[in-house]
Amino acid sequence: MTTDELDQLAVAKIVDARGTACPGPLLEAKKAIGTIKSGDIMEVLSADEGTKVDLPKWCTKQGHEYLGTIEISGYFRIFMRKN
Amino acid sequence: MEQKKMCLGLFTGSVDKLTAAGIILGGAAAMDMKVDIYVLLQGARAFRKDIGDNTNKLQMAENPELKDEFLESLKNLKVKSWVEFFKEAKEITDVKIHVCGLAGKIWGGEKLEDFLGLADDICGIGAYITSAQEADVNLFI
Repeated sequence: MTTDELDQLAVAKIVDARGTACPGPLLEAKKAIGTIKSGDIMEVLSADEGTKVDLPKWCTKQGHEYLGTIEISGYFRIFMRKN
Repeated sequence: MEQKKMCLGLFTGSVDKLTAAGIILGGAAAMDMKVDIYVLLQGARAFRKDIGDNTNKLQMAENPELKDEFLESLKNLKVKSWVEFFKEAKEITDVKIHVCGLAGKIWGGEKLEDFLGLADDICGIGAYITSAQEADVNLFI
């Protein structure tokens, strides 16, 4: 997906994990995905460089769909769809 | 999806290695893994109720002269203590913590109540080996 497409997604849940170090964003994502419905989109905000690699891998392993990442100065917006 | 299992032999009682174990445990919890932790010799000392995450009572495994710097960095980065990592992982996934009976006795702990509430039982080495044989991922820290 392009940055514009990601930016226009209807996000059901935003998880702001910018205050946490690894593995905080992963754990925040894990906790939050249980609160949304199948097919819903979740956006995770993280300032941790490792998260942009971790979360796509986590999505694949957990059976969710990784949609893409928008890099902003100082943090990342990572999008996924719950399966 | 079949739940994968991790078996961790936790020998260390050092704050740096315990922190690493806590971070790995966090990753395993996020991955929905079942985790069996066997607390061995030095680890059983750290699991004593009067020690836990009291960093004054824990050494560093490596670069002991940098302990203050290490702890300060953890604080600045808002990294949880090793006990908090273990606690959080137990809340998220199936983590069972077994303390080696002999190790406990070496440090004056005879009963489960002598250890942090995180511990589930006291066991022998046979349980560790059995769990290690069945696990998808084996770690020794």
